[in-house]
Amino acid sequence: MPFAPVLHSEWIKIRTLRSLVAGLCAILVVTAAFSALAALDTDGTDFDPLFSALFGVSFGQTAAIAFGALAVSSEFQGGALRVSLAAVPHRGRWYAAKATVVGVAVLGVGLLTGCVSLAVGKAVLGDKGSGLSWGEGLRGAVGCGIYLALMALFAAGLTALLRSGVATLSILVPFLLLVSFVIGDLSGSVADFLPDKAGQVVLHETSEGALGPWTGLAVTACWTAAALLAGAWSVRRRDA
Amino acid sequence: MTSIDVQDLTKEYGATRAVDRLTFSVAPGRVTGFLGPNGAGKSTTMRLVLGLDRPTSGTATLGGRPYTTFDEPLRHVGSLLDAQAAHGSRTARDHLRALAASNRIPEPRVDEVLEEAGLASVARRRVKTYSLGMRQRLGIAAALLGDPPVVLLDEPSNGLDPEGIIWIRELMRGLAREGRTVLVSSHLMNETASFADHLVVLGRGRLLADMPMREFIHARVQPRVRVRTTDGAALRDVLARHGYDAVEGEGDGDGERWIVHHARVADIGRLTSAAGVPILELAAEEGTLEQAYLDLTASAAEFSAQSPSQCPSPTQPQEA
Repeated sequence: MPFAPVLHSEWIKIRTLRSLVAGLCAILVVTAAFSALAALDTDGTDFDPLFSALFGVSFGQTAAIAFGALAVSSEFQGGALRVSLAAVPHRGRWYAAKATVVGVAVLGVGLLTGCVSLAVGKAVLGDKGSGLSWGEGLRGAVGCGIYLALMALFAAGLTALLRSGVATLSILVPFLLLVSFVIGDLSGSVADFLPDKAGQVVLHETSEGALGPWTGLAVTACWTAAALLAGAWSVRRRDA
Repeated sequence: MTSIDVQDLTKEYGATRAVDRLTFSVAPGRVTGFLGPNGAGKSTTMRLVLGLDRPTSGTATLGGRPYTTFDEPLRHVGSLLDAQAAHGSRTARDHLRALAASNRIPEPRVDEVLEEAGLASVARRRVKTYSLGMRQRLGIAAALLGDPPVVLLDEPSNGLDPEGIIWIRELMRGLAREGRTVLVSSHLMNETASFADHLVVLGRGRLLADMPMREFIHARVQPRVRVRTTDGAALRDVLARHGYDAVEGEGDGDGERWIVHHARVADIGRLTSAAGVPILELAAEEGTLEQAYLDLTASAAEFSAQSPSQCPSPTQPQEA
């Protein structure tokens, strides 16, 4: 069975659900809006123009996670998975197509989000943002796209494992909003290797911890790969 | 021609055996009714045939191939398992488009099946605005999408209005006439009797019967004759003399109604006429599927209450 028709089918499923399209838009809007707000407040000793301009990612990632979770959890409602797997009985292929579509969609929106946030952030920062080089800006925007895509896929894999979007979101959202903020200040510890902390290094102009921008994303990618593999195991092993 | 072949199929969920060493075939060109009480294993069997659940042991094949080996399965097998499967926030048309795309079924076919299912005018409405009957029609449209030679429908008449029930009946009979293999599960006897040619009956995951419907009924229900007369006593006497047992039924003022068990109209008519008993009405009562089914399940229940060695079941001589 060729892969392209399955990809096409999964893409139709994404763009024909209003909640999923709204989720993608929310990534852009929320990130840009919070980035603009953060750029207004430039006081403080550790001011980082790049992170100021991309600060909204901390909030936009919630939308990315919700998107990833919803895209998969819509298959676990009312026997939808049976219809999907009756059409594509090769479960690995079906799951790979689902993950590809989720990842590519969020990557695209994430790259755009990075560029827009950066532009908005720089405009709000004015002179204070002039220290930011094009190279750093580009790295931040690309990193933003990759990071958001990885987080969406992390949620997608977890949802496939737990078979529930609610369960996934009630784990991930509190984790990102609370745990990470609370222990996030403990820099230089294992907290640096949490999926969100590690991946967000790329959004900073300078990195202090053990991880650099790309190694940080690699750590997040490992978390995502683990979640996706666990989800794949669940999809392949369990009865639909 | 594609048949469905189930061979020694067993599915256990923990300690419970939902499907118990089931073996049967569904032939093309006729509608096979898949009967059994709720929990008998009908839906589980269908999921096993479609490769959605993994069997504990045994095989299920379609035209000799397991379902999961089909490249574009919707072109070979159409199925309706659950009317609630379409996402409520998607339109019916988009639901079918996504399914069609995965099996490279051209998009005009989507509109064709929507038309066939009588949903063309509401195709662009969200599924959550649909009644159960409309969802059922959408599920049937999805099953027909790939113009498949095999069709599996799980309780397709659920929630359909009278018009819809006639539609699905004609549709299934039409599919069988075209030489397709049609397996339809139901727990509604009268409904099944109206469309099935052949029956596969399950009870507690086991095969209780696999035979043509007429044969099934005739083997289990003795023919009866209904007589209405103005002289009940004379009727009873003449019948008793010839070894028939006439039972008085409910009268409605216009003569007395009698039921003669194990009898045929031809015999009773001749006897009463020769004896000069006044007859107002004489009619054969055909056995119904419901009666035959209840007779079967009663004997199956009796069997399960006893030990297997004392009373073998029709198909399964011993407990595993």
